[in-house]
Amino acid sequence: MEDQIAELVAKVAALEAAGSGAGAKVTNTMFAETYYYLTIPLMIIIHAGFLAYEMGASRLKNVLSSGVKNILAFAFMIPTFYFFGWWVYFGFPTGIPGAAGPMGISGVEYANSIAWGWGESAQYMGPNIADNISGVFFGAFALFACTTASIMSGAVIERIQTVGFIILAVVLGSFAWVVAAAWGWHADGWMVTKWGVHDFGAAGLVHAVAGFFALGVLINLGPRIGKFNADGSANHIPGHNMPLTVVGLMLIIVGFWGFLMACVVPPGEAWSWFPDKFATIYGTPITLGSLSFNILMGVAGGIIGTWLFTRDPFWMMSGALAGIISTASGLDIYFPAHAFLIAMSAGLILKPCADWLERRGIDDAVGAVTVHGTIGLYGVVMLGIWGAGYPSLAIDNAPTVSLMGQIGGAVVFFLLGFVPGYVVSYILKMFGMLRIREGAELAGMDLVKVPAAGYPEWGTDAPVTPAE
Amino acid sequence: MFPYSEASWSVVDGAMFIGWGTSLPGITTVLAMIACVVVLVIGQRSESAKAKTFDK
Repeated sequence: MEDQIAELVAKVAALEAAGSGAGAKVTNTMFAETYYYLTIPLMIIIHAGFLAYEMGASRLKNVLSSGVKNILAFAFMIPTFYFFGWWVYFGFPTGIPGAAGPMGISGVEYANSIAWGWGESAQYMGPNIADNISGVFFGAFALFACTTASIMSGAVIERIQTVGFIILAVVLGSFAWVVAAAWGWHADGWMVTKWGVHDFGAAGLVHAVAGFFALGVLINLGPRIGKFNADGSANHIPGHNMPLTVVGLMLIIVGFWGFLMACVVPPGEAWSWFPDKFATIYGTPITLGSLSFNILMGVAGGIIGTWLFTRDPFWMMSGALAGIISTASGLDIYFPAHAFLIAMSAGLILKPCADWLERRGIDDAVGAVTVHGTIGLYGVVMLGIWGAGYPSLAIDNAPTVSLMGQIGGAVVFFLLGFVPGYVVSYILKMFGMLRIREGAELAGMDLVKVPAAGYPEWGTDAPVTPAE
Repeated sequence: MFPYSEASWSVVDGAMFIGWGTSLPGITTVLAMIACVVVLVIGQRSESAKAKTFDK
């Protein structure tokens, strides 16, 4: 009997050791790795959504070329982010010239050691049995980059050249937003450590940067032929498939659960902020429950607010996006009903803001500047109003969130989007690489760019729009 | 090309991709960069030529 008891005690001790020692460590490592890994296909759903919604928003003669553009943006973003985007993120949080920050995870020297595809740092940029996190963390950030570039993609459909667009997408997705992320979405980011900027879900550093980058491009690109009349009034150019567009927008909403999930740092690893709590990228505590509450209420508020003035399913689903974006900066700390009201207010102002832009001669085919740019900045500033006083980092004497800090952050995000968008598209225009030739635009870009037909049995008797 | 001196998985304790410790990662990275640029150049030329055929 005593032998049996001793054997039992030994087994219990072994089980306890496995539960709290190396076994638990391996399990947690696998959890953390799987956590980020699963955000990647979830974020690819965003691109299924962008693909559907941009193709649906295009006229029949442009449907496939819009899709090709979207697919290529995704394809070029991954390698370019691998080549240099990842390096930029870690290299410049403290600004130029890239000095090391206090957390020890920034600066050019640090970036050189982990983010180049050659030399010693290549060990962190490829299969490594001792490194479970670099690949999945890179993958999540690469999908952030793809998402950012795709936001601009919808605004410029039906008249942009393919290669010019890809160059713009690379500048936006693998550089401009990455600088914004380094400065405002990193524990060593100077906007965080000096101004207390808090933008948990990237309302400013992804959405606003992408939206205002698109505005800079649209100014140089010009409107589609037939969009505006001689007196300056605008014609509505309907896409060929509203149901496809609306379903695409819903897919984007689905994918955003992955996007926002990837903004969270799991616990228990050497690189984690806490042994037992999820954290934001700033190291402040968060739960997935917070996201569940506030994303759902944000989506609902955005739809309801937009429905009131538009009754239009395109704008209602855009309102759902606006609902998430307007609350994204503070999804970790808003009360759900508060998030609902902020999202609803974003839904209310969405269409009037888009109309205001159109009256100034900007042809934003899908409302990207407003949904992502204007509402992104709105969300950043809203958190300055409501979240003032919250510590922006999980350290002693941390800077706190403030209205002036958030406004300053919003201005920087605007400039990081608009300036490169305008300058690079201006240069492309000078070299004749921005806009498709008039004859090709009138004939339809599918004839120019794609050796296939979107709807081969439809024939040539598709309904025409005022623009044709 | 196995990056460890002994051809056994039991000795693998870090990077395990083909070419680790050699210049292959750097060479393939540069070649991939060049490939992206070349594709853009070819794509621009062919699309421009096709678009010109639609000029009135």
